[in-house]
Amino acid sequence: MIWKILLFVLMTFVSIAGISFPIVEKPSNWYEFPLIPGLGENAKIIFFHVPTAWLTVVAFFMSFIFSIKYLKQKNHEYDVKAYVANQLGIIFCILATLTGAIWAKFAWGAFWSWDPRQTSIFALLLIYGAWFALRSSIDSDEKRATLSSVYSIIAFFTVPFFIFIMPRIMTGLHPGSADDDNLGPVINFKMNENMQLIFFLSLTAFSLLYFWMWNLGYKSILIKEKLIKKFER
Amino acid sequence: MLQFLTDKAIYIVMIIVLIVWIGIFFYLLTMDRRIKIIEKELKGDNYEE
Repeated sequence: MIWKILLFVLMTFVSIAGISFPIVEKPSNWYEFPLIPGLGENAKIIFFHVPTAWLTVVAFFMSFIFSIKYLKQKNHEYDVKAYVANQLGIIFCILATLTGAIWAKFAWGAFWSWDPRQTSIFALLLIYGAWFALRSSIDSDEKRATLSSVYSIIAFFTVPFFIFIMPRIMTGLHPGSADDDNLGPVINFKMNENMQLIFFLSLTAFSLLYFWMWNLGYKSILIKEKLIKKFER
Repeated sequence: MLQFLTDKAIYIVMIIVLIVWIGIFFYLLTMDRRIKIIEKELKGDNYEE
């Protein structure tokens, strides 16, 4: 219960701070964000767009872990948990793509320009889209769970490459790419401490929200299956 | 207050986002409670393996 209250307070604070704290040239108060050249007010997207991309990684990683667990113990519950994680992963992946495209229209001039970052997330959508196609094409429960676990484990090895490596070693438009002179690990690019703090609070809040959604998702599927079993007798 | 909100429209956006968030949060909370109650009921069930 405590973490739910924490989630509420954090997300409320992040919404207030992320939207309404002013961006100024030389921040002097704790609530002021620094002006990042070329981004301006657009920079505030970082509090809402980056967490969705972060949750994509978290969700696919959880699916990876539960897929390994499933292959080890053949426990049906782990398959359900991996399934819900992948579901949420692809939802947040689509959200990151959409919010990024809308932002790009105003920051770069076009919704889609095959920037390395956009290309890599598109590849990721295809890879995990195929996971759902694979899953829906197999009738037998155990075979489906085994094959989709194996696919999920292999697919996860591409995630760090597409999210963290490829968009950073190639030149591009996205903040953090190789020719960005605000370079550094993405988090350091000309944010002041206050902006970084709110950014990390935002990541925490979104992670808690994800965890809650995942929890409700797999529990409801398990209940549904139990009830079906009960009425079949 | 009204003049302030008219001048700085971003605060209206903030208030709207907050209202949406409160709505989503309490919806999730009721869903959470509902699932917990069903789970409890199923546990005391003889049909369960």
